[in-house]
Amino acid sequence: MFQAFDNPGAGRPLQRAHWMALLARAPLDLLEPALRGHLARPARWLRAPETGLMMVQGRAGGTGERFNLGEVTVTRCALRVQAEGAEPTVGVGYVLGRSQRHVHLAALADALLQDPAHQSALDAALLAPLRRHLADQQAQRRARAASTKVDFFTVARESGGDDEEASQ
Amino acid sequence: MTAHALSALGAGFSNEALGSQAVFRSVLQALSQPGQPVCVDHDAQVPTEGHSASAAALLALLDSDCTLWLSPRLAASNAGLWLRFHTGCQLVDAPEQARFVWVAAGDAMPPLHTLATGSDAYPDQSATCVLDVDSMDADAVAHGALNLRGPGIRTLQPLCVRGLPAGFERQWADNHAAFPRGVDVLLATANHLAGLPRTTGIPVAVEA
Repeated sequence: MFQAFDNPGAGRPLQRAHWMALLARAPLDLLEPALRGHLARPARWLRAPETGLMMVQGRAGGTGERFNLGEVTVTRCALRVQAEGAEPTVGVGYVLGRSQRHVHLAALADALLQDPAHQSALDAALLAPLRRHLADQQAQRRARAASTKVDFFTVARESGGDDEEASQ
Repeated sequence: MTAHALSALGAGFSNEALGSQAVFRSVLQALSQPGQPVCVDHDAQVPTEGHSASAAALLALLDSDCTLWLSPRLAASNAGLWLRFHTGCQLVDAPEQARFVWVAAGDAMPPLHTLATGSDAYPDQSATCVLDVDSMDADAVAHGALNLRGPGIRTLQPLCVRGLPAGFERQWADNHAAFPRGVDVLLATANHLAGLPRTTGIPVAVEA
């Protein structure tokens, strides 16, 4: 759920895999306002949103043999977006679940982020709040888990007891 | 696939269901009336290499279970990438492994008998060959026109094709004789398709 690259650190260049991972987990109410002004851009579907199943594979402990964990519902699309005065870019969106709106907005954001003219503006308007949102979510989850923490301690057995173990 | 390759790729049918159904109907029409060119009307952004009609037909027919072989000129272009992106088909290196074969105009056609011809029990497991030719004319009774005969044709269907591979008629006679096994051919110009199913015979032209 939470990736190591959610906080790329200062000065690291934005990588496409990073922002695609962020967009895939973005809630709609963050995507909608940030991309409202770009929805009117001329765009054509290379691949209209389609929903299907994908097999998720895992490795026990991260290093063991590969095994099939189960299938997840994935919606994907590819959108060619015409930017003003620049070459059209193709944005790709892969999102868990069945939300076609989400995958559309994710692909649109991906296409715009590949265009250097939009990258920094969109990074500030969309990706930064997104990172904050995911960090908040992570902190909440961590707090909820922390509240259930139990400190186990071993009770030292009193000496001189005549239970079974002592008698053996 | 790199981002650059994806941005150079054309879109498929604007409406996938209706677009592929319309093209499928044209292919059906072409195969049920062999030798009569059928106009293929579509709105896909086809690759630059290869004819538009054959690209649209393959876009409509292929799916992820299909194997496709491309002639060298097409294999060097982004036609394979385009079909693979939109249909999920598998590209193969050897024509005999392929269920669909697309030969660009000017490229050598693999001999028909080397393609998958199915078996007597499963004649459907055979290849379909999409052959790009320079031009086709079904009306003019020109010298050197093929005279097609067989199911779907009332008496004789003349078809004048420019750009057929050398020795095609002899190969076709062998292919026709192997019925029920054999290869089906779709001849394609820029916008038209003509069907040549294995049931169609091409008698050697009689001197008039």
